[in-house]
Amino acid sequence: MSFSKIKRRDFLKIMGWGGVGATLVGCDLPTTVTLEEGKEKVVSYLMPEEYVIPGVGVWYASTCQQCPSGCGIHGRVREGRVLKLEGNPASSVNKGRLCQMGQASLQAHYNPDRIAKPKIRRGSSLVDATWEEAYGLIAEKTANISGSKFAWMTGSVSGHQSVLLQAYLESIGSGNHFVHETINNAVWAKVCQDMLGDSNPRIRLDKAQSMLSFGADFLGTWGSPLHFSTEYAKFRTSPRGTLIQVEPNMTLTGANADLWVASRPGSEGALALGIANQLVSKQGLSMSGLPNSVQSLIRSYTLDETVTATGVDADRIADIAATLKRRSPSVVLAGASAQGHEHGYQCVAAAMVLNVILGNIGKTIESNGEFAYASMAPVSGNTHSLVSFSQAAADKRFDVVFFSGVNPVYTAPKSLGLKESLANIPFKVVFSHFNDETTAMADVVLPLASTEEDWGTHVAPYQAGVGEISIQQPLMEPLSTETRGFGDIVLTLLKKRKETAYEGFADYYAYLRNAFSTIPAEHKNGASDEQFWTDVLAAGLIDVGVKKTSLKVKGVEFDMPKEMGNSSAMILAPSARLGFWDGRHANLPWLQEAPDQISKVVWDSWAELHPSTAKKIGVKEGDMVKIASASGEINVKVYIYKGVHPDVIAVPLGQGHDAGFSRYAKDRGVNSLSILDPKVDKMTGELALYSTNVKVTKAAKTDDVLVRFGGSETQVGRKLVSTIPADVYERTEGGDHVA
Amino acid sequence: MSVLQHLPLGRFIEAASRGSRQTKQTVQVSFIVMLLMAAMALFSAKVNAEVPNAVPPEGSYSGIHVEQPIEFPHDTHADINEINCMYCHTYARRSKVAGIPPTSKCMGCHSVIATDKPRIQKLTEYWENKQPPLWNKVHDVPDFVHFTHEKHIKRFVIDNEDLEVENVSEVCAFCHGEVKKMTVADKVKPLTMGFCQRCHQANDGPSDCWHCHK
Amino acid sequence: MSLSNLIDDWSRYRKGREEGGFHDYEHMWGMSIDLNKCIGCNACSVACYAENNLAVVGKEKFEKGQGMHWLRVERYWDEPDLGEERTSEFQQHGASFLPMMCQQCNAATCEPVCPVAATYHTPDGLNAQVYNRCIGSRYCSNNCPFRLRYFNFWSYYEDSWPAPLQMQLNPDISVRDMGVMEKCTFCVQRIRTVKDTARMEDRKVRDGEVQTACSQTCPTGAIEFGDMLGMYDPETGVAETRVTKMWRKHQVELGKTKQNKQTPEMRGYRVFEFLNTDPCVMYLDRVREV
Repeated sequence: MSFSKIKRRDFLKIMGWGGVGATLVGCDLPTTVTLEEGKEKVVSYLMPEEYVIPGVGVWYASTCQQCPSGCGIHGRVREGRVLKLEGNPASSVNKGRLCQMGQASLQAHYNPDRIAKPKIRRGSSLVDATWEEAYGLIAEKTANISGSKFAWMTGSVSGHQSVLLQAYLESIGSGNHFVHETINNAVWAKVCQDMLGDSNPRIRLDKAQSMLSFGADFLGTWGSPLHFSTEYAKFRTSPRGTLIQVEPNMTLTGANADLWVASRPGSEGALALGIANQLVSKQGLSMSGLPNSVQSLIRSYTLDETVTATGVDADRIADIAATLKRRSPSVVLAGASAQGHEHGYQCVAAAMVLNVILGNIGKTIESNGEFAYASMAPVSGNTHSLVSFSQAAADKRFDVVFFSGVNPVYTAPKSLGLKESLANIPFKVVFSHFNDETTAMADVVLPLASTEEDWGTHVAPYQAGVGEISIQQPLMEPLSTETRGFGDIVLTLLKKRKETAYEGFADYYAYLRNAFSTIPAEHKNGASDEQFWTDVLAAGLIDVGVKKTSLKVKGVEFDMPKEMGNSSAMILAPSARLGFWDGRHANLPWLQEAPDQISKVVWDSWAELHPSTAKKIGVKEGDMVKIASASGEINVKVYIYKGVHPDVIAVPLGQGHDAGFSRYAKDRGVNSLSILDPKVDKMTGELALYSTNVKVTKAAKTDDVLVRFGGSETQVGRKLVSTIPADVYERTEGGDHVA
Repeated sequence: MSVLQHLPLGRFIEAASRGSRQTKQTVQVSFIVMLLMAAMALFSAKVNAEVPNAVPPEGSYSGIHVEQPIEFPHDTHADINEINCMYCHTYARRSKVAGIPPTSKCMGCHSVIATDKPRIQKLTEYWENKQPPLWNKVHDVPDFVHFTHEKHIKRFVIDNEDLEVENVSEVCAFCHGEVKKMTVADKVKPLTMGFCQRCHQANDGPSDCWHCHK
Repeated sequence: MSLSNLIDDWSRYRKGREEGGFHDYEHMWGMSIDLNKCIGCNACSVACYAENNLAVVGKEKFEKGQGMHWLRVERYWDEPDLGEERTSEFQQHGASFLPMMCQQCNAATCEPVCPVAATYHTPDGLNAQVYNRCIGSRYCSNNCPFRLRYFNFWSYYEDSWPAPLQMQLNPDISVRDMGVMEKCTFCVQRIRTVKDTARMEDRKVRDGEVQTACSQTCPTGAIEFGDMLGMYDPETGVAETRVTKMWRKHQVELGKTKQNKQTPEMRGYRVFEFLNTDPCVMYLDRVREV
């Protein structure tokens, strides 16, 4: 890459000397001829593919791997380099759109801090090794291992990678597959399973006329954010749906709500029951489908009782109930901040009870069908697996553990003691792109090919009634010859275990190619094998359909604790954002420099405080506070606004990487997950992320300042964003919009 | 200055006419220079008989001779054997860049033709090592210039119905000179903005800066 | 050249305005941004970084206001039209997001102040910035009412793209060096590529064929981009583009300082319209249930 050789100073000199005349005739002056012949090199192709034309971009379909949603992408490739990603319009998940994390996938691929070579631990340090050495060591350590001594921790996984992974576990005879994601819907899925008979129902935002969301940040981190963003656009076109968001601190979804209600974490369930009470007692809806114990629970949450339990105004509670009734069909969702308690299951169940009372089941909450091929079906991660893995590691139950697609040393609260118990595991293999916290503790590091270099198939966990298998194909040659694709590594490991079924496959590509040759003929539409494969690659996906299922409302009994713990203590809210996600994208400079959607902070962590709380503590924006829990403390700078409950201090996830994760994430901010108490939801075992009591005090300022984009929090009287009431919008644009 | 005053541009003229006396003189001098240049251009503009409907750009340049890993004889190919430039530089009509032909293209002929010549043996060596030669770039423009071959080929070759097919190399010669008389190509045209611009004016090409600079 | 461009285009614009049309313009690229749909997610901004070789400047330089985000998403907490936020305890109507990029003004205030005519109007209605002509006087930036021009105070390429990150750079546009001004170009490289393709195929550009990086990636489809002069499509027989439809529907017209809407409630407006810069970007009011 060469850059302009003209020095600006020289150019200015010419300007000064010749004046305007020189600029007009200067186009031909020899001084502007700065490029000498023979200075640059040019290399031709040895034997190009027919469709490759230098200077003309070619688009290839693939699948994004930045979060578990599984969006289809198109990559623009020119001169053998992938330059830009766009959404694949054929994908039902993202319909041609792409979020900022997807855009920044390129920076994970081209990242200067990617691991380029396998590494093996020698004493206290990791040293470069060859693949033969790494494979040899793994074969040696797993040669005679008993299944119960082996474990594999992964992120959400699906498709043929999942098939191979299960095959490897079977070859060892192990059932220890821990699937971990910090940002998950596990409690929602459990409640849906228990109450509707389907863990992954389809949410019809396009049909809903109103929506009540208890902390479900469906535009940012809940479910399939990009999919719900496209659905949200339909929700907001006439007749325009009303969005009510209840949460402790403002998420991206909350920022787009018609009504944003601050809730004390843990009180969401009480509020939901209070609204249910209003719907039954004031709005004339029936709760006859519910078990008697739940009915009496709802009756006990009278308006006064609910106000006491939640601190939300009586009028507001009545209003919300009236709006939901008036604007039917509605849909009620619950997400991270509602499920992150010891009684998280009950909170989410109370929200689902609202759906039952409002008659939303079957209208705005439908059955999504079941993916037809169980072995490829998505396995979604949770935090229960992290807790149980930490326990097992502390109990010295494992001799060999594999980690792939997870960074548990970063995402586990320090109180789980995972980092210390990892020392109890004699042999740790980490499949990794970057030298993150978990990789730093590995005995063998296997460098993975990036999303843009690897083959794979993925089944998106949330699909709107279709069963698409999305193809991941390399968009360019690997940057390093020493990285390997995930599928290739597992296939090699299987071969090393003398699994004869895999001997015939030269590599993962051959395995995938064979899988698509042997796919049931009904999916091929009569195309020849080669044509079918080409078509699938060109489209980037194939819809293999779903098994039809139906929702069946079941009465589930639950209670609601009246006592919410120490009600005077502050609560830490480790909220997640579309951007850094659970911290895995802190090494991408575009995302570091993209201001946070709410606080507009760049390159840093911050704590969100309500103005009244800040006044009490005596801090201004940019001041440092010390947040101390029973499990540890962090110091972080403060951002003050009215989008947070006065009892809450919110520290969004992402920063605070202590290893050499990358030059961009190093020594930056704090990790709020680290000081969480090891509380779990009693029904599901999920980490109770929103239930850690903390003490917040003013701390000494450091030289490191809080940098935010933009000077003004208000429009200062300028008409920059103007707002009109929804009824005016309906009057002028109702029923007639440009498609 | 008189040129400017007739334009309906109140605000701009106000700012410009406040300039010092010296500036005005400079502008006047430059105006005369421009007139002279225009006159020179008028008299010297020649129509190339072999390329109808086109005025070739004016200007010449003599730079340094650049050695290449293989002394490729353009003359043998384009002149003696009368091979069309775009037979090898096949991307020129389809892309921004004309492209160096891929090694496979050379080998298409030279796996059988003239295999005893030392240069062909060197080429075969590259081919067998699966390593295309690293050529030294001769015709280069700065990175902020986004020249596209395809539009120029379109204007002067494809849409130019009166052009005889054997004269295509005359179009290429507008900017590359008589490459068919050379072995390895030398830069004999200045490829400066003035050089481009004179051609654009003479042939009604766009004068919008953002056509080439972006 | 550039000077004559500037003069020609200004006179053409003035003539067009006086006679109620835009003369000789081949295209007039414009945009419509629906703040009812915009969720403020930043996808457009990051897509712009990816498409346009925008430098990442780092925390220290960002603090000094040197961030190069051609498309920035502004976020405001107050709502002058609802008037409640100052007194309420909570941010009860959420936030107000505003994606802000160069408004491609027809009567751009940046153009007449450039001492070297490095910024001018192209024949397709774009406010151009020619990097190799720019001498870095920063007058344009001072004169821009939107503060949408970004100056290269440093040679950012030295630090912004450590190998192999530089392999991602888009070869269709320049990497800017120290001392030049830059700003949103409406993805001129995409416009030119599509125009070139259309020309090679001896046809006209079709509606929707050109998409800016931001409009293509926008998760909710809030950003529409297209030709304000309309495009005739022989297949459908439609002369209006999606963008012209939006502008007509919301009763916003180019070339006016004040819109005389038949239905004043229609949501279209242009930011700082009263300044008479005639922007080509129309915003549609945010909507809230109150």
